[in-house]
Amino acid sequence: MEKQPRLVEDHIRKNKRDTVVICMLMVVLLFSLIFAIGYLLGAPPVLVMIIALPVALFYIFMTYSFSVQSVISAAKARPANPQNRPEKLLMYKVEEMSLAAGLPTPKVYVQDSRDINAFATGHKPEDSIICATTGALEQLNTAELEGVIAHEMSHIKNRDILVMTVTVGVVGAIALIAEIALRMLFFSGGKSGDRKGGGNIIVLVIAIIFIILAPIFSRLTYLAISRKREYLADADGAYLTRNPEGLAKALEKIKGDVPDDPKGSKTVAPLYIANPFKRALRDSLLSTHPPIDERIRRLRAM
Amino acid sequence: MDLTLIIGIIVLVIIVVILLWFFGYYNRVIRYENRIDNAWAQIDVQLKRRADLIPNLMETVKGYMNHERGTLEAVTKARSAIMTAKTPQESMDADTMLTGALKTLFAVAESYPDLKANQNFLQLQDELTHTEDKISYTRQHYNDSVLNFNNLIETFPGNIFAKMMGRKERQMLQIPEASREVPKVSF
Repeated sequence: MEKQPRLVEDHIRKNKRDTVVICMLMVVLLFSLIFAIGYLLGAPPVLVMIIALPVALFYIFMTYSFSVQSVISAAKARPANPQNRPEKLLMYKVEEMSLAAGLPTPKVYVQDSRDINAFATGHKPEDSIICATTGALEQLNTAELEGVIAHEMSHIKNRDILVMTVTVGVVGAIALIAEIALRMLFFSGGKSGDRKGGGNIIVLVIAIIFIILAPIFSRLTYLAISRKREYLADADGAYLTRNPEGLAKALEKIKGDVPDDPKGSKTVAPLYIANPFKRALRDSLLSTHPPIDERIRRLRAM
Repeated sequence: MDLTLIIGIIVLVIIVVILLWFFGYYNRVIRYENRIDNAWAQIDVQLKRRADLIPNLMETVKGYMNHERGTLEAVTKARSAIMTAKTPQESMDADTMLTGALKTLFAVAESYPDLKANQNFLQLQDELTHTEDKISYTRQHYNDSVLNFNNLIETFPGNIFAKMMGRKERQMLQIPEASREVPKVSF
C-alpha cells in the first residue's frame, strides 16, 4: 500500500474548511434568530445588530470550546482506570497506536456499556481523547481492539475529530434551542386562551424558523460522517497496524452484536466507529455509517 | 517597453520562485529529519525502560524457576547486549534477542501455576509486552519516516537541492531473520 501524504494534507485542509463553514452557518443562524426576536419586540434594528453579533459569536465560541466536554458527558464516559487490567491494556494499546502514527498520546476514556463501540474526539491531536465501551474491552481480543484503536487514531491524524466534534456540538446546541422554543410554544399554547399578543407570535416565529432549519442542520450531521472519512480511517488504521484482519474481525463482532439500550444522546452517534442506534436506523435509507459489510469487504481486499 | 527590462523582470521572478520553493523544501527536509530523530529517541527510551524491567523480572521469577537456568541466562545476556549496543541497528538486534528470550521465558512460565498467579509477575509480563509492542510500532513509524524522507530527497527536482544540503538516504531499521522464527521451548 502506498502512502500518499499529499492526499492526507488535502483531507486535513478540507476538514478544517468544513469546520469553519459549520461555525459560520451557526453564527448566521443565531444572528438572524436574535435579530428576528429583537425586530418583533420592536427594538431599533441598529441596536439589535450591535447586540446580536457579539452574542452569536460568543455563543459559537462557547459551543466550540465546550464541544469536547459535551461529547464526553453526552456519552457518559469516564477516564480509564489503570488499576483495572482491561482498561490498563486499553491505555497501552492507545499509546502503542499513537507511537505508530507519530502523534501525542490521547487521553483514554471508558464508557460503561455492553455494546462494542469506540469513538475519538478533540479539536487537535494534542488534546484528543479516545473512548471505548466496556463491551469492546470484554468482547474484542488484542488484535481486534488494536484495529479499532488504529481506526480512531486515524480519525485523529486526519483531523476528522475536529469537524465531527464541532458538528456534534453545534447540532446539540441547535437541538437545545429547538427544545426550549418548543417548550415555550407549549407553555404559551396552554395560556393562549386568556392572552393574545406579541409573545405568542415571537415564539411561533422561532418555532417555524427551527422547523425550517432542522432538516438543514440534520444534513450537517451527514457532513460529519461522510463515508469517505470512515473508509479512509479504516484504510489508514490498517496501515498503522499492518493488519486489516484485526479491524475486519472487530467489525464482524460489532455486526453480530445484539445492541444494548443505547446510552447517551443521539447527536453523538456519528462519532462512533459503528452506529450505536442500529435497530432504529436499520430500515432507514439515510443510514449514518457506511454499511459494515462493505467496510469488511474493503478491509479484506487490502 | 524595453525588452531588456521585461527579460530582467522574468528572470527575477524565476529566481524568486526558485528561492521560495527552496525555502519550503529546506524546511520540509528538516521537519522529516526531526521526525526520524524523534522516532529514534522514542525507541531508545523504550529500550532503556525494557532493560530496566528485566532485573525486577529476574527477582520475581528467581524463586520459581531455578531449574530454568538456560532460559534466565539468555534473558540476562540479551539485556546486557542492549546496554552495550552502540548503533541503532545493534540496539534493534539486541532487542530482538531479548524478545526471543522473553518469549521462551513466558512460555516456560506457563508450566508454573504459582508463578502465573503472582500479581507482580503478571504486571511485569504486561508491561514487558507493552514496551515490546511500543518498540515495534515506533520502529514502524521510524521506517515510515525514513521512507518519506528518502522519497523526498531522491525524487526530482528535490534531489538537486538535497545534494546541495549534503543530505543522504537514511537506512531503515531491519528486523533480523532470527526473530521471525518461532522460539524453541525445551522442557
